Amino acid sequence: MIPSAFEYHSPTSVEDALGLLGRFGDDAKLLAGGHSLIPLMKLRLAAPEHLIDLGRVQGLSYIRDEGGAIAIGAMTTHSAVAASELLRSRVAVLAEAAASIGDVQVRNRGTIGGSLAHADPGADLPGVMLALNAELVARGASGTRTIAAADFFTDLLSTALEPNEVLTEIRIPVLPANTGSTYLKFANQASGYAIVGIAAVVTVSGATVADARVGVSGVGETASRASGTEQALRGQPANADAVKRAAQQAADGIEPLGDIHASAEYRSHLVRVFAERALNTALGRAQGRG
Amino acid sequence: MQLTGTYTFKAPRDAVWQAMLDPENIRRCMPGCEEFKTTAEDQYEAVMKAGVGSIKGTFQGKIQLSERQPPSSYRMGVEGGGKPGRVKGSGVLTLTDQGGTTLVAYDGDAQVAGLIASVGQRLLGITARKLIEQFFKTMEKQIPATSA
Ligand SMILES: Cc1cc2nc3c(=O)[nH]c(=O)nc-3n(C[C@H](O)[C@H](O)[C@H](O)COP(=O)(O)OP(=O)(O)OC[C@H]3O[C@@H](n4cnc5c(N)ncnc54)[C@H](O)[C@@H]3O)c2cc1C
Repeated sequence: MIPSAFEYHSPTSVEDALGLLGRFGDDAKLLAGGHSLIPLMKLRLAAPEHLIDLGRVQGLSYIRDEGGAIAIGAMTTHSAVAASELLRSRVAVLAEAAASIGDVQVRNRGTIGGSLAHADPGADLPGVMLALNAELVARGASGTRTIAAADFFTDLLSTALEPNEVLTEIRIPVLPANTGSTYLKFANQASGYAIVGIAAVVTVSGATVADARVGVSGVGETASRASGTEQALRGQPANADAVKRAAQQAADGIEPLGDIHASAEYRSHLVRVFAERALNTALGRAQGRG
Repeated sequence: MQLTGTYTFKAPRDAVWQAMLDPENIRRCMPGCEEFKTTAEDQYEAVMKAGVGSIKGTFQGKIQLSERQPPSSYRMGVEGGGKPGRVKGSGVLTLTDQGGTTLVAYDGDAQVAGLIASVGQRLLGITARKLIEQFFKTMEKQIPATSA
């Protein structure tokens, strides 16, 4: 299908993009990789009159080690995240999630900022951001603010970003020593979107689980943390039995979506199974068992 | 596209029935309702500008209520068009008394012209359900007993 008519703008700085957003307000949409927005426009489920392409804005695509945190520019593609040595060695869960997105075309165009701003219920990265306690940096006309991932995903397809803000950076706090992480997904066969996606981050202290964080994507209207499982695992012996017990609570508090790909009951079941598997992998990595 | 779901009203069934079939309430509870007029008994014409997140559209259409079985069920038909294309659908709403609260279940089918399966259908279903939930939530607030 053909989208309805729109005017195309191609600013070269965040300031200019903000100026255009201010000028056109509700009638404008930012364009990043276009792999979520353009399909919606083709279906005419979105019909912005102005498209503000961030593609030519300088300096929004980078992955930098800043000591206490790794900073990722919003226009960094899924491919770049997946290929980053820094992320693969330090934040495996994020590199693995990015590598699991769609197909090579989608990963080469789609961006981390676009995925988070769109907040699709089937997207992989929101749950990863929650598990990593990431911070999202937004710039508006009146300045820059930092939003905790836990406050960012507010509802179905909705975020804490104001319509006149640009997401510019994602900051991943450095993980403590003896931490392992992984992303495990049960994917929609056609698109790759998560039916269930589990981001697991486990820190051990000797033979004990010091901390466990589990982000769940694809299951509810928004991504969420499996806090029951996290609590049940903290302070427990670092072994598969403890993981098995804790994973039983992974779907608690989540209202699962049901659709033609998976019923609500099946999604809940998969959350428990995948949480157990992902936690075991993360635990093994935390213990240096690769 | 199959659309099913439930919503529990914290109000007795008679009150829910009355509220749900009152045109003034329908107007007030329809997400993004911009125009609403009664064209015949149980027949309305409306314009709504509604959406969730990136999904936004303006719809113009006819609503027809039929098969009234007070206070337990009725059928609602919708036919109209908007930027996303033509929509035609109908569904049955069933009100079940649960002793003080009322379970409203809807079961419908909608045809949306020009739908591309993978991307469109997946999000369209959840978005529609979200808007229906908004409708019920606002409706619940129109019932005096529950807003007290
Ligand atoms: C066939 C297919 C398969 C896919 N499979 C998967 C999958 O398996 N897993 C998955 O997670 N995703 C999947 N996706 C989605 C893909 O990852 C998208 O690229 C991503 O969700 C959106 O990123 P984008 O850069 O394309 O954003 P766009 O589509 O350009 O934008 C999306 C939304 O975010 C807003 N936006 C973009 N950038 C910013 C910014 N910097 N600040 C503020 N707002 C912004 C836009 O205005 C728009 O509303 C798939 C997509 C397709 C087409």
